Amino acid sequence: MELKEKLTILADAAKYDASCSSSGSTRQNKGGIGNAAYSGICHSFASDGRCISLLKILLTNCCIYDCKYCLNRKSNNIKRAIFTPEEICSITMNFYRRNYIEGLFLSSGIIKNPDYTMELIIKTITLLRYKYHFNGYIHAKAIPGSSEYLVKKLGTLVDRMSANIELPTEEGLKLLAPNKKETSVTNIMSTIKENRNKRFTPAGSSTQMIIGATNETDLDIMTKSSNMYDNYDLKRVFYSAYIPVNQDKLLPTLKTPPLTREHRLYQADWLLRYYNFKVEDILSNDNPNFNLLIDPKADYALRHLNEFPKEINTSSYYDLLKVPGIGVTSAKRIIKSRKYFKLTFKDLKNMGVVLKRASYFITCNNKYFLNKALFNKEFIENNLVLENHQIPKPSLTQLSLFNE
Amino acid sequence: MNNNIYLYDGTFLNLLNLISFLIKNNIKPLNIVDANYEPTLLDKIINLKITNNLNIITNIKNSWGKEILKVMYYVYLSNEKYKELIIYYFYLNTLKYKTNILNMRNLKCVNSSLKIFKYVNNETHKLKGFIRFQELANHVLYAEIEPTNNCLLLLSAHFKRRLANEFWLIKDIKRNIISIYDKKNYYLISASNLKMNIELNKNELEYEDLWCTFYNTIGIKERRNDKLRLNFMPKKYWKHILEVSDKNEKSNK
Repeated sequence: MELKEKLTILADAAKYDASCSSSGSTRQNKGGIGNAAYSGICHSFASDGRCISLLKILLTNCCIYDCKYCLNRKSNNIKRAIFTPEEICSITMNFYRRNYIEGLFLSSGIIKNPDYTMELIIKTITLLRYKYHFNGYIHAKAIPGSSEYLVKKLGTLVDRMSANIELPTEEGLKLLAPNKKETSVTNIMSTIKENRNKRFTPAGSSTQMIIGATNETDLDIMTKSSNMYDNYDLKRVFYSAYIPVNQDKLLPTLKTPPLTREHRLYQADWLLRYYNFKVEDILSNDNPNFNLLIDPKADYALRHLNEFPKEINTSSYYDLLKVPGIGVTSAKRIIKSRKYFKLTFKDLKNMGVVLKRASYFITCNNKYFLNKALFNKEFIENNLVLENHQIPKPSLTQLSLFNE
Repeated sequence: MNNNIYLYDGTFLNLLNLISFLIKNNIKPLNIVDANYEPTLLDKIINLKITNNLNIITNIKNSWGKEILKVMYYVYLSNEKYKELIIYYFYLNTLKYKTNILNMRNLKCVNSSLKIFKYVNNETHKLKGFIRFQELANHVLYAEIEPTNNCLLLLSAHFKRRLANEFWLIKDIKRNIISIYDKKNYYLISASNLKMNIELNKNELEYEDLWCTFYNTIGIKERRNDKLRLNFMPKKYWKHILEVSDKNEKSNK
């Protein structure tokens, strides 16, 4: 099989993995080629708007498992391919020199057994690091069910190692991926957490869940994420809107992937990691799913309107972070700047605060931006919803009276 | 305030020396320009021919911190029309308040400087990803860029670390300057001084084709989002990004 065809098959099979980040590592160039950039670098953006920073491929799309949602499942009649370690090295090196990529993202279907697959991955990356002296970013998937010594070995070679939890609930996993056990994934996460240092997966670990393939609620998903952040020090949890690639009576039939829901989950994920929110602040048993019309932070603000408006010149950092339209950067800027002068609405605009959202929830020197009489839930909610849904511009071409 | 326009030689060092001289002598210039400025009939242009004090950069760094110097340098690299005047007022206020003024965004000069700083910094960061090298027949890597701001020096520092054991050239077409790296250091020279024969390596087209194949495959059809892509990858850069340039016909289908 020609290299080009292999690349097509094995990139196509890898594209559903959402992780793209290349950040968090400070690997230096020691007499070879490449280094890691701590902030990460995006090299391109695909037609779906997702960033491309790593050469994201599978080592092989052969698989002994038969997970219902997966394109590469055993029972699918598709063309199979396998890269040799040398082929992967050659493509990676040549792409990297031309600055197409920031590094390699290597995952694999399970061929023969988990240990055998893991050894192939290790062989490939060892070759890349020691024969080709490649010091760029490498993200590898650890294969669930492989031996601990192999996970430890892979960890010394890569910048990030991850394992996908795949589904938010154990029941979901039993139903759709009967060959996989949640513990085999969490075992890998524990090994990474225990061994992590600047020579062992310096950029940490991440995981991914498929959203909308089973009937879990957003509360289930966020609770799961929150637990994983707490227990395994994960850097990221990625959410991947379910795209039907297979026909199966166990799978839902969706016309379009639940992208808005996915977006809300990412927004909430940020609230957990950077804004000091807890899952119970944004979701509850009575209210287990996100409002698709309004983002989770604005939704929180509207449900806790008695805590607002916040005074910009005196509120604490975490209180500022609760204001819709104020992010981590602008909250820090406000705290630093107000030591020097009293902030006005104009200054906030200069600092990058999104006033069209924030103005409902703040005062500057005890002045409210709008008419104080309009400080009520209904008015603000209606305005925010319309802010999110821009009114489409009228079409420029006149409609023909006589349609062909 | 007087109505004079002051001339500097286009270098950062000379600009700082001139500004420092003007401030010391209490002169508020109408504008500060380099030799590329096209004067109108009414302009009074003054060339003070200031001798450079080589220590000025270290002095500023020691007195006011690295950040202040970095902001001024990035503004200098920008394409902003009155950048020299912005640096003048930024430095004037640093001396006036005798502190790190970066948090005083209510000062116009600070707010403008930080905005320009961010623009130059962001564009440089974007280009670290968007630059595409081609391998020439003699194995030298060659790339062309056309950035809005003058990012070439900052980019060269990045690629010196990253592609340490390759020979590479990066050409800024718009400014006609070229950065040459010889596996030890990089040098910025005028592109007119370099005669180049751009003959591609025989493997080059094969790898370009492989990359375009990867690019065309990795996007998920069901999630197609052209607006999002344009947000992250503005059209003005597309000409020099192989996979979305005219060379890859399939990229927009």
